[in-house]
Amino acid sequence: MKTVKLLAVAFFLAFAGISNAQTAEEIVENYFENTGGLDAWNNINAMVLTGQAGMGPQEFPYTQYVTSDGKMAIQISLQGQTFTPQAFDGEQMWATNFQTQKAEAMDAETSANFKIQSKDMIDTFLNYKEKGYTLELQGSETVEGTDAFKILVTKQPVIVDGEEVANTATFYFDKESFVPIMSEAAVTSGPQKGMMTQTLYSDYLEAGDIYYPHSLTVKFNGQVGQTIKVDAIEINPEIDENVFLMPKQ
Amino acid sequence: MKTKNIFFGLCVAALSIPIHAQEIKLKGKELFGDMTARQIGPALMSGRIIDLETHPENAQVIYAGTAGGGVWKSQDGGASYAPIFDDHLQSIGQVAIDPTDPDQTVWVGTGEIWTRNSVSVGDGLYKSTDGGANWNKITGFDNSERISSIEIHPEDGDTVYVGVLGALWSDSEDRGVYKTTDGGKTWNKVLYIDKDTGVADLIMDPSNPDVLYASMWEHRRTAWNFNSGGEKSGLYKSTDGGATWNKIHNGFPEGKLGRIGVAVAPSNPERVYAVVESEKDEDKGLYRSEDGGASWKQTNNDFSLTVRPFYFSKIVVDPKNPDVIVKGGLSGSISRDGGNTFKALGNMHSDIHDIVFDINNSDMMHVGTDGGVYRSWNGGTTMEIVDNLPLSQFYHISVDDATPYRIYGGLQDNGSWYGPSSSPGGIEARDWVRVGVGDGFRVLKHPTKEILYSEMQGAENVWRYDMERNYTKNVKPLPAKNSADLRFNWNAPMAVSVHQPDRFYMGSQFLHRSEDMGDTWKVISPDLTTNDPAKQDKNSGGLSADNSGAETHTTIFTIAESPLNENVIWVGTDDGNVQLTKDGGQNWTNVVANVPGLPAHTWVYHIEASVHGEGTAYAVFDGHASGDMTPYVYKTTDYGQSWKSLVTDDLKMFARNIQEDYENENLLFLGAEDGLYITVDGGQNWSHFTNNFPPVAVHFLDLQKQTNDLVAGTHGRGVIIVDDISILRDVKPEILYKDVHFFDVEPGVMVEEGGFGGGSTELQFVGPNPGTSVAIKYYLKKRHTFGKMALEIQDMQGNTITELGAGKSKGINIVTWNYTSKPPKMAAAKTFAFGGFTPVRVPAGTYKAVLTKGKKTYETTFEVKNDPKSFISAKEREAQYKTSRQLFDVQEDLAYMVYQINHIMTKAKDAINANNKAKKVAQPLIDELDALKNTLVVTTGDNYVGTAPPQLREKLSALYSDVAANFEAPSAAQIENINLLMARFNEAKQSFETIKKKRLTKFEKYLAKSEMQPIEFQTKEEFVDTKE
Repeated sequence: MKTVKLLAVAFFLAFAGISNAQTAEEIVENYFENTGGLDAWNNINAMVLTGQAGMGPQEFPYTQYVTSDGKMAIQISLQGQTFTPQAFDGEQMWATNFQTQKAEAMDAETSANFKIQSKDMIDTFLNYKEKGYTLELQGSETVEGTDAFKILVTKQPVIVDGEEVANTATFYFDKESFVPIMSEAAVTSGPQKGMMTQTLYSDYLEAGDIYYPHSLTVKFNGQVGQTIKVDAIEINPEIDENVFLMPKQ
Repeated sequence: MKTKNIFFGLCVAALSIPIHAQEIKLKGKELFGDMTARQIGPALMSGRIIDLETHPENAQVIYAGTAGGGVWKSQDGGASYAPIFDDHLQSIGQVAIDPTDPDQTVWVGTGEIWTRNSVSVGDGLYKSTDGGANWNKITGFDNSERISSIEIHPEDGDTVYVGVLGALWSDSEDRGVYKTTDGGKTWNKVLYIDKDTGVADLIMDPSNPDVLYASMWEHRRTAWNFNSGGEKSGLYKSTDGGATWNKIHNGFPEGKLGRIGVAVAPSNPERVYAVVESEKDEDKGLYRSEDGGASWKQTNNDFSLTVRPFYFSKIVVDPKNPDVIVKGGLSGSISRDGGNTFKALGNMHSDIHDIVFDINNSDMMHVGTDGGVYRSWNGGTTMEIVDNLPLSQFYHISVDDATPYRIYGGLQDNGSWYGPSSSPGGIEARDWVRVGVGDGFRVLKHPTKEILYSEMQGAENVWRYDMERNYTKNVKPLPAKNSADLRFNWNAPMAVSVHQPDRFYMGSQFLHRSEDMGDTWKVISPDLTTNDPAKQDKNSGGLSADNSGAETHTTIFTIAESPLNENVIWVGTDDGNVQLTKDGGQNWTNVVANVPGLPAHTWVYHIEASVHGEGTAYAVFDGHASGDMTPYVYKTTDYGQSWKSLVTDDLKMFARNIQEDYENENLLFLGAEDGLYITVDGGQNWSHFTNNFPPVAVHFLDLQKQTNDLVAGTHGRGVIIVDDISILRDVKPEILYKDVHFFDVEPGVMVEEGGFGGGSTELQFVGPNPGTSVAIKYYLKKRHTFGKMALEIQDMQGNTITELGAGKSKGINIVTWNYTSKPPKMAAAKTFAFGGFTPVRVPAGTYKAVLTKGKKTYETTFEVKNDPKSFISAKEREAQYKTSRQLFDVQEDLAYMVYQINHIMTKAKDAINANNKAKKVAQPLIDELDALKNTLVVTTGDNYVGTAPPQLREKLSALYSDVAANFEAPSAAQIENINLLMARFNEAKQSFETIKKKRLTKFEKYLAKSEMQPIEFQTKEEFVDTKE
């Protein structure tokens, strides 16, 4: 019912035209206000997302655990095996080695860089000032055929191969609903360094007291690379801490 | 509460919004949605590089500014590059890294500065403050056309000097040196000579930012001449941050000067080098100053120092050694004795435009040429090309009707080529075939034979090339008795006929026609040009003769035989005539006077004779070579008696080419200096197509008839394809008001391929293939952001075959389906059975695409067909499908059995754990089930070399995968193997039943007696639906 109302409002707005000048701060405020309110967002200390991750024709069921204090684990179950392609216990990033099926720690730089990103487990823009991020409204752009505000977010720099590298991402907020519909960032390390990745957000649905995108599409230089379909989101469930910890061999 | 918040939030937003009715127009990014272009290169010969720049502290970071392909950044020390300037004009003059913020702040001046005849134009100055991810246009330089230099204060990044070379083909008061002290907000012009004389080079003394050297160059191009040099060229120096400037010519040649390149030795800034173009051959060349330019001494005037100054006036000094100097040139040359003597750089593509030394190791160099970037590790002695820069500069392209179709075209200084539109593993360097040398232009395939025609500059050679025999013959038209000398354009026109396959046209000032593929020629026109002697001066170049033929003018440039009537032939000339014959060349009429609003003598760049009417044609005129950047695009439907302009305010820059759709007369494609434009309403509105299509100069467009692919030959980014534009034929105003509209789906063809491809290394460019999936296309009036949306494929009975990721963009969405369902549910095991990731391909037939958006559903039906080239019979195909399904089901039966075994074993273990008495009935059950399970699935090992011997699941899945991935019926060996494995599976089923009867019954009784939960299984359907 809520969704229906929301859609009705969005529909009205479609005929009302696009908004006047906004600041980045106002846009982000509107985003949280329109998706449940800042209080509801701040009440989240953990989320468990379950769904299907697709790469090309292959689809894998996955479960993602995140906590507001920056821990994260993704588990994939396939042919009777459960493995962890990515997890972070707050300090250490690790993953299951596909060949040996055993957990291995990722390199120190990757862990340190992820720690910086781990502030964004619930949302990039949640408490962005406290996180030390700066926002810059870079005007408007048409993405996904839709008028959007373009906001550059600058976070603490990351270290890549020993060198400090800027850590920025560009978010495009729908001018009608103020929710992000796309983000864009450059790959900062590895052979794909410099390649632009775009993430499309859609299917915003209720999850507890907030609205959260239930469909994500990741593109590399414009070509679809990965799709994520979220079937269910649990807000503030009990999570066994072991999912974040690297298993001892 | 939530709802309230959301509602309130949106209302607040609404209140701040000016209300006006929304009109849906047939234009803009909304129209194209996620129709995306495919950039296929090639990169093997790459393209012209203008400027290379290194990060001052991080040797991994290098920028390449290119002639027509934008700015590319390497972050791996020059091993590979990625484009970072794809939203802006692609012609680059200068890239500069702010030494005070080198990771973030980068400046780009647009407009190529090596001013050959074919250069593109720029539109000003840009600045990025995030390492090139985003760019802001700096105001004040919109009309600069070409920016040669950007010098940034080493301690104050807000103080920047910009040298504007300016307009190539016209007067310009924008030329000169500009200075900002506030990071680009405001600018002062600190050096200006006149409207003819621009900044060729501007260099800051690295030890003193108040010291600047500016070389001012008087020059001008016309379509028929180039002039370098004059009284006003000169080298100037400022020692007060640009406030005052003095000419520093003490020791320079007397008389007029041309282009001057300057370099200061970073390790000894009093050592300054200048390469000077002057009147007399003996005083041209390199000059050296030991006193900051106060006096000069000539050191060398060898060919490599004096060759084509407008193209090669780049000198670079080793940052660590003032005696090591490198000069651009035909081959590039290096001196290690302060410029007294030079030797050539190592073998690489000719025409060297820039060189940078690695910041730490001067033995490492990166060199920009007409054919890409080269690297050297030994001081320039041996060179290797960067393999992933698809910067090829096409003058022209054409396509044939092969499957996959081939693309033919010629490149600036890189010969002529053809390559496939798709290739196993992607379109690689090895897929491209060279079919001409020198500068390449038009390449046309014979309509019916494996023969093509290619040429080099000025039709010096016109090759008839036998593609099967790799055999060439020069079939160039030559003057005959009593005929005038022939004038061929640098980019000489040719045409073939759809009516007479062996017919071949060439244009000089006359139209030449051959009916035998170029063996014999007949002139079928008088001189169709203005034949204006004032435009036929053979002495081009100015102070340095440059008679390459590039300026040959008063020539025919475009030839179009009507596809409806072979006697109707259009000819356009570079000096502005539109000539028409309706009787195969007996009589000609110049109809250009009927074109309204067109300046006289504007270059007729392209005429497209329409398939929609014998008297219908399109003409694109290009005045940029006289400084006129206006687009001129016209249509006639009455043999040129009247013309209608198709230009709207949507078009910003001059255009070169137009392509009509063969079915919908209102659908037109325009190749412009700033990219591709499309109209779906006959030119009332044009939309800039920017989805993976940078604003690069599009020189030629062709539409492939079988695939409806629009193929663009760009001058800087190779071939760019917009696959299957047929959807645009159906974009009509009425559909734009529907929430969802499915376009008709072209039948999908399940191409029967199963070969190998891909021999490229990870640093080599590989062009993407179009894919063979069926494309489901729909229009959304609004972007789907809130609520559920899903797209699934169903059979005609409504059974779901698979779900697809729905496109949710406003405008056109294209979602592809590869004709398969989901892979089978596999038995749980210790390792993967990789065959189990294979899905079953559906049989040919009719299917539905069902889009669910909120509570509404929308659907369309479409056909899936077998490969028409197939040699496989319907019976074999049926056997393949049936066996695949059978093995698919067996996988799931096995998976269900293993599930039951695991479930029982878990229960039995739980019972023992709860009460050791259970062991008596539970342990034999566990043991027997475990033994059985070990024959069914792998229970040990890993996914690599620790892998365990395969069991039934692994063997069955490998067999299933082989059968399902193939198109033919299973082989006799496979059938035999199926029978063997099925027998084993049946035995296993028997064993399972026996264990259940013998052991499970007892265990179940124990559970009942102990009042424990009985064993309950999911149904098979429930099990298959569980997602893990």
